[in-house]
Amino acid sequence: MTPIDNKAVLSAQNLAKQVVFNGEPLNILHAASLSVGPGESVAIVGASGSGKSTLLSLLAGLDQPSSGEVALFGQSLAGLNEDGRALLRRDKVGFVFQNFQLMPQLTALENVMLPLELAGRKDARDSASQMLTHVGLGQRLRHYPRHLSGGEQQRVALARAFAIHPGILFADEPTGNLDAATGRQIIDLLFQLNSEQHTSLVLVTHDNELASRCDAIYRLVDGRLNGARA
Amino acid sequence: MSWWSRLLLAARFVRREIVSGELTILALALLVAVTALTSVSFFSDRVERALTTQATQLLAADLVLNGNQPAPAAIRQEAQRRGLQLADNISFPSMVFAQGQATLATYKAVSNHYPLRGEMTVRGADGQPSTGVLHPAAGTAWADARLLRKLGLKLGDRISVGNSSLLLSGEILREPDGAMDLYNFVPRLMFNSADLAATGLIQEGSRARWRLMLAGDDRQISAFRQWLGQHLPAGSRLENVEEARPEIRTALERARRFLGLTAMLTVALAAAAVALAVRRYLARHWQPVAVLRCMGLTSSEVLGLFVCLFLLLGLLSGALGALAGYAVQLGLMQLSSRFVGEVLPDPGWHSWLLGPAASLLLLAGLALPPLLAIRNVSPLAVLRNDVVLVRSNLLAPLAALLALLALAAWQMDDVSLAAWLLAGMTAFFAGVALLAWGMLWLLRRLPAAPRTGWRYGVANLARRPWLAIVQIVALAVGIMALLTLTVVRDDLISAWQHSIPPDAPNKFVINIQQNQRAALRDRFAVAGLQQPELSPMIRGRLIAINDKPLRPSALADERARRLAEREFNLSWRDDLPQGNRLVAGSWWQGKAKPQFSVEQGLAGTLGIRLGDTLAFDIGGSTYRARVTSLRAVAWDSFRVNFFVLAPPSLLQQQPASWISSFRLEGAQEEFANRLVAAFPNITIIDVSAILDEVRAMVDKLTRAIEAMFVLALAAGVLVLWAALAATRDERLSDIAVMRALGASRAQLRAVVLAELAWLGAFTGLLAALGAMGIGGIAAGKLFNLPWSVNFYLLPIGMACGVVVVTLAGWPLVGRVARASPLAILRAGQ
Repeated sequence: MTPIDNKAVLSAQNLAKQVVFNGEPLNILHAASLSVGPGESVAIVGASGSGKSTLLSLLAGLDQPSSGEVALFGQSLAGLNEDGRALLRRDKVGFVFQNFQLMPQLTALENVMLPLELAGRKDARDSASQMLTHVGLGQRLRHYPRHLSGGEQQRVALARAFAIHPGILFADEPTGNLDAATGRQIIDLLFQLNSEQHTSLVLVTHDNELASRCDAIYRLVDGRLNGARA
Repeated sequence: MSWWSRLLLAARFVRREIVSGELTILALALLVAVTALTSVSFFSDRVERALTTQATQLLAADLVLNGNQPAPAAIRQEAQRRGLQLADNISFPSMVFAQGQATLATYKAVSNHYPLRGEMTVRGADGQPSTGVLHPAAGTAWADARLLRKLGLKLGDRISVGNSSLLLSGEILREPDGAMDLYNFVPRLMFNSADLAATGLIQEGSRARWRLMLAGDDRQISAFRQWLGQHLPAGSRLENVEEARPEIRTALERARRFLGLTAMLTVALAAAAVALAVRRYLARHWQPVAVLRCMGLTSSEVLGLFVCLFLLLGLLSGALGALAGYAVQLGLMQLSSRFVGEVLPDPGWHSWLLGPAASLLLLAGLALPPLLAIRNVSPLAVLRNDVVLVRSNLLAPLAALLALLALAAWQMDDVSLAAWLLAGMTAFFAGVALLAWGMLWLLRRLPAAPRTGWRYGVANLARRPWLAIVQIVALAVGIMALLTLTVVRDDLISAWQHSIPPDAPNKFVINIQQNQRAALRDRFAVAGLQQPELSPMIRGRLIAINDKPLRPSALADERARRLAEREFNLSWRDDLPQGNRLVAGSWWQGKAKPQFSVEQGLAGTLGIRLGDTLAFDIGGSTYRARVTSLRAVAWDSFRVNFFVLAPPSLLQQQPASWISSFRLEGAQEEFANRLVAAFPNITIIDVSAILDEVRAMVDKLTRAIEAMFVLALAAGVLVLWAALAATRDERLSDIAVMRALGASRAQLRAVVLAELAWLGAFTGLLAALGAMGIGGIAAGKLFNLPWSVNFYLLPIGMACGVVVVTLAGWPLVGRVARASPLAILRAGQ
């Protein structure tokens, strides 16, 4: 077993997840290990049902592994309770989801302000409005998600994810709900922001072309992770 | 598909839907709706039955056939054939002679089974009062205190009644059907009808009323009432307690309105809960419907499946709800038995039917319109992965309104009253909704609150403004009911009780002559009593409306016919009497002008409108004048009131006798005797017993209404729960996103609590405003009391709202703590 890499932003050792289904134990993930360095981008590819989302949720501390260990910014998640993990995410982790997950009751601006306010930032409004202008939505601050197109909603989601200048960004099929052209624009924007902020990136996708833009590609087959650095 | 295979498919579909738990929320909402509804129905039915029982005691029977001839033998035989109990009561005015003195009395000859309902209280020769189904034995007579006093009689004396001499064996303390007409009250002598023939008092042309009294169970009585309607002898009519006693009728009608209103509130709130649950259910089933369509089911087959499902669901929850309603009502009875104080009659069968009927009606009104849209779901929806929203159109609210009206009409047995209530309630709900909407709008535009939790809580409310409004309206109505009871109670309910003030007159004096007025007033002054208000009373017959002669026989309505036949008591005065309220027109414009002011109930019965010209025959001269105002009269105020009033200039010249009312407490009772001794021509009528009865009745009704208001509040809380359940998925997803973004439990809890607190504060504020309004309207319009605005209601209402909503929403707060951010990763897949 390799020791936890202290320089890595994200490091996972022998992660496994087992659930009980109909009384039988079912292994969704077998001994997965990977590490992501500062500013590094990693793609996790796999077919539907291969366990991608499970892995992502374990890496981001949204779920707890049956065995193995995850460390974010050198801190082991095993020793943290749910609120402790939330605190870590609040300050240093960004998320982009396939179905955007914007709050429908909040305007674009308020959606972006949300993580800043949760972190108690006084300049939430200014930072959020700058961020939205940066992703090209400076004119749509007061629009609600239902008045925005899919591409625009994902831009808001990107602005929300990068507003806190996260150390690491987890993206779960960020173009899954978008058409090809819009998807490409979003990915361009994602990589642009990523390099501007020197953020590490964990990208879950089934799109090989998209994966190939990352520094490393891991393939997940039947719950087994096969690493391959590009 | 054959019908059989369709049926099998439907059965399997229904079973799966029920097992999957998808219907739980809807079924629960329906169940609770029906429970609330039927418990109110059971309860009010039983209370009403208790009241009717009490009312029949005032008739001393369930049904009375009143005629100027003995009831035909055919009717008696038919009644006996149907197994009804019979008794006779023949009354007529005549002179009583004793000890060399004479006085006019009302004779009342009763048969052996009298009274069929209620009890008689008599003081015997031993001085002890006894109560029960009592009547004088043949050869004896009972007299009331006035007759004893007038003739200086004592028990054991003999009195002459026509050709007979009867032994005076009892003093009437209370007779169930006494005092049927306050203004024609004279001393009473009661004897056995077996002695009637021997007295020789009943002859051709005697002014006797023959009352055939009947009693039996409800069904027998109502069947016989119908039969009698077709076989009514000429010169006869059916007596009805509500007509006989205006003060009881007023109390009953008020109670019916109060109970009806509370029941309607509960129905409306419950309907809101059902509507929310149906929306949620259908919204979650759009996708499965598309899949079914893909698999080759026609749109009408899909509709059929769901109709089957809802039909079954409606019947099941209706039956269960009726059972639960009965149980709740039992608890309610237990709670209020201390106040209701007696064993109430069992509820009628229709309350049992109400459960399933209400449940199906609610579903038909609230689920059918959105359900019909299911036919339009395209199989393509599966491919497009579209989220099709439940489109609301005009049909849905209209159908819901109709369903509500049908339910209300069923419950109140009165379509027009139900329609009015519904219209009033719709307007009220719309008003509250508008206020709620305005507050939300304002709140969303206020500068951002510094606290994150507060801000997102507000945003959550504003996110679903319609849902927020529904919740606010439903809860506000519930809390308003509670506030009205607990805080405005003094203004409202006790104001109702105050309509029979503790110092209400308990004695009426009639037959005071013009020249006795000053002397009578002096007597009061000497005795240290408050000066009585004397009103002139003039007898007159209404002969024409708008110069069209009034022919009583031509009137279709029986009550109108009787009113037109008899002489009215008219009066004249300068000012609007206390306890009277103008409902149309204005009080004397130019007192010199001939004009009339008419009581609105009488005007309604006889078809008299403002501006009509009435002609009265008074002492042989005709008085013609226009109706310049209509009045509402508080008959249960026990003050002297008149159907028709005129300005002094019109009737002052007419000879009048004077009438007054005053109050005597126990120790002062002797004053009445002294008054009668000084003015032998006057008659004093004691209404203490009636007063006590009405007051006891009002007390009972108040308790019943309180219990129902609590139910209305419970229904309001249910709507909140249904709304929270309907938005549960959205909320959990919100919470999961916030959790993923790093929100701590404390922050999430703050968001949820803030939303609940805002909701509660709004609700409470609106409830307080509503309660203030009700208090004001009740004080001003209903009871003619000065309106005082209780501003302290506002903070009390808001605090109450926050507490109720937070408690009701607490399970949601608990769920926040357990929410896993993982949910959102799953949600997208």
